[in-house]
Amino acid sequence: MRTAHTASAARAARAAAAAGLAAAALAGTVLLGASPAAADGSPGPSAGAEEEAAPTEAGTTFRTATAIRQEQRATAAASLGDYLYWTFPAGAGQRPTVRATVTLPPAASRHGSSTWQLDLFDGLRRRQACASGDSTKRASADAESVTLSCTLRTVRPWSEAWSNDPLPGAYYLRLTAVDLPERDLGLPVGAEVEATARDAGGAQAHGGELTAPLLPVTRAGGIVDPSGTGASAPDADEAEDADEAADGDEAEDAAGDGRAPSQPAALAEPDGGWYGGWWSDRWAWTAAGGVLAALAGVAGHTLARGPRRPGA
Amino acid sequence: MTTTRRLAAGLCVLLACLSTSAPPASAADGPEQAPPRVELVLDVSGSMRARDIDGGSRMAAAKKAFNEVIDAVPEEVHLGIRTLGATYPGEDKRTGCRDSEQLYPVGPVDRTEAKTAVATLAPTGWTPIGYALRGADADLGTGEGTRRIVLITDGEDSCGLPDPCDVARELAAKGTHLVVDTLGLTLDAKVREQLSCIAEATGGTYTAVQNTDQLASRIKQLVRRAADAPPEEPAAVEGADRCAAAPVLTPGVYTDRQEFGQHRWYRLELLPGQEVRASVSVAADRAVNRDYGVLLRAVDARGRELVRGTDAGGGRTDAVSAGLRYPLAARDDVDLDDEELKPATTAVCLEVSNSFSAPASVKRTPGMPVELSVDVVKSPDRAYDTAAFGLGRGWVLLGVLTLVGLLAGLLWGWVSRWRITVRRTN
Repeated sequence: MRTAHTASAARAARAAAAAGLAAAALAGTVLLGASPAAADGSPGPSAGAEEEAAPTEAGTTFRTATAIRQEQRATAAASLGDYLYWTFPAGAGQRPTVRATVTLPPAASRHGSSTWQLDLFDGLRRRQACASGDSTKRASADAESVTLSCTLRTVRPWSEAWSNDPLPGAYYLRLTAVDLPERDLGLPVGAEVEATARDAGGAQAHGGELTAPLLPVTRAGGIVDPSGTGASAPDADEAEDADEAADGDEAEDAAGDGRAPSQPAALAEPDGGWYGGWWSDRWAWTAAGGVLAALAGVAGHTLARGPRRPGA
Repeated sequence: MTTTRRLAAGLCVLLACLSTSAPPASAADGPEQAPPRVELVLDVSGSMRARDIDGGSRMAAAKKAFNEVIDAVPEEVHLGIRTLGATYPGEDKRTGCRDSEQLYPVGPVDRTEAKTAVATLAPTGWTPIGYALRGADADLGTGEGTRRIVLITDGEDSCGLPDPCDVARELAAKGTHLVVDTLGLTLDAKVREQLSCIAEATGGTYTAVQNTDQLASRIKQLVRRAADAPPEEPAAVEGADRCAAAPVLTPGVYTDRQEFGQHRWYRLELLPGQEVRASVSVAADRAVNRDYGVLLRAVDARGRELVRGTDAGGGRTDAVSAGLRYPLAARDDVDLDDEELKPATTAVCLEVSNSFSAPASVKRTPGMPVELSVDVVKSPDRAYDTAAFGLGRGWVLLGVLTLVGLLAGLLWGWVSRWRITVRRTN
């Protein structure tokens, strides 16, 4: 009996060691971060080939904001005091960063320092906090340019309606001088913006899905005739169909109908899709946990049950 | 969103809106789209003789820029030209202040004709900006499509009344989607103040021009902006002062006006399982005090607040905006199943209020432009697990799973051993 026990203990120890190795291997792949989602999400070399020319105009209101893609350097010529709007797409699991560079008018024609600000709003025009980056910066009277940046929180695929969490869809960025010498109004400035996004990784992989990303509405509204009777209630099916069609066609429209890239309706789906795909390293962690549990189970069983042929 | 690019004839009634919910792409780009219209309003007053732009006169710079612009006008844009102070050289203010005429009618551009018309201009008279703006607004006509005025001037209004800034705000408030962009050919403080006021009042831009190239490229840019504008202009709506009397909206974009401290109510009829998404922007189209805010609330028929969106700020701004979304839970209780028809809709009211204020000298009416955007989508069926697919992550998870596996294995092993023992003893 004693010898049998020793043998089973040794076997259990071997199993435990194997389990440890398996765990280490799985954890290794996990920690190296080689997840397919990350690979998909990165712009990579494919972006270069068929990329259309970057927009050279900026919008002046939310409704006329120029649509840009991620990794696209959009430029605009403007006047000091203008409010410049762009909009870019961001999907779940991404951590968007916006960088903007303003080329100031020659110092000789300016009358002092100015403060520049980059504001970000989500598709519902809700202000989004900059988790990091200099979103407000003072340009001294002799500065040639000023660079601003803003990194949002990680975009979640779903959140409760009462929360202000960033959600998949359009993001607006507004660039303007919030403080400037009144005499400098109207002088020519140049602006360059770029929106990029980093995959936030499995730690930020959240569950759920919105039924539609937060995208701007472009159609004109219609008021229900108060004199109308039963027919005045909006028809759910048709309204939904319209929305789904609109959402689904988004990407094709952007690529297909050759519309000017500055139109807000041309907002393309981000590379990884609005919801970022099913993969996250949570699958690897959970699977590793399952393997470890199984091995530990076998080890525990072997340890407790004793030798297969007792008394042999 | 090609599918939604329909021509909205005025305030299209619900049925008309929904029956065309998914037109083929070809129809959306159809010819019935109203062309974007732009009118260039050029100051031809006596002061345009001043030779301070690139060594030439302001008039020469403007003519050169106009020629470039006329060459570069996109095909779809209907361009017109109006002058002010071009004909009356005399001293009579009454006559001088009505001296504004249409040089080239708004329509498809005949480049040669337009250039010939511009070539005839010589600096002459007064600067009736307010009067000219009204004329330009009339030239552009009414109806759908983008309407833009580009005002190029080198002097402040020499007529006093009407105040051009008030005229601009009054034109913008007519709800005809008019934007006035201004270009100043001088760096004079009063001109800058007046022109930036006009631009601010209509959501346009002000540019201080310093050389011919800048003038030409800026005008070209503004004309292009008209061509690039979104195909559908927002529908005008007037919100009520309480929920019960509020206009019932369908998904789309709306404009309204709101005075300081005024509350505006709108109503939506939602079915169970639908989610409303609304955003609102209140534009500061005049001088306002430093601190401001906007509040958008969704309220049910009994007055209970469902959700709110808010934003506040301080300092220079063009607009302050807020948004909200509210899903109406899908209902599958028995009462609704009994009905063969569609379930009843639930009224959700949207209340828009602002906390803008202004110095006493600033006009209160017309109110500030409000842009309200409403969308209705299907609401998510359920609340989700916050982790992706409910999956776990991290060393603690591995430890717990391993420990549980070990314990389960031990238990299983002991049970097996006990069963073997029992079998042997039998």
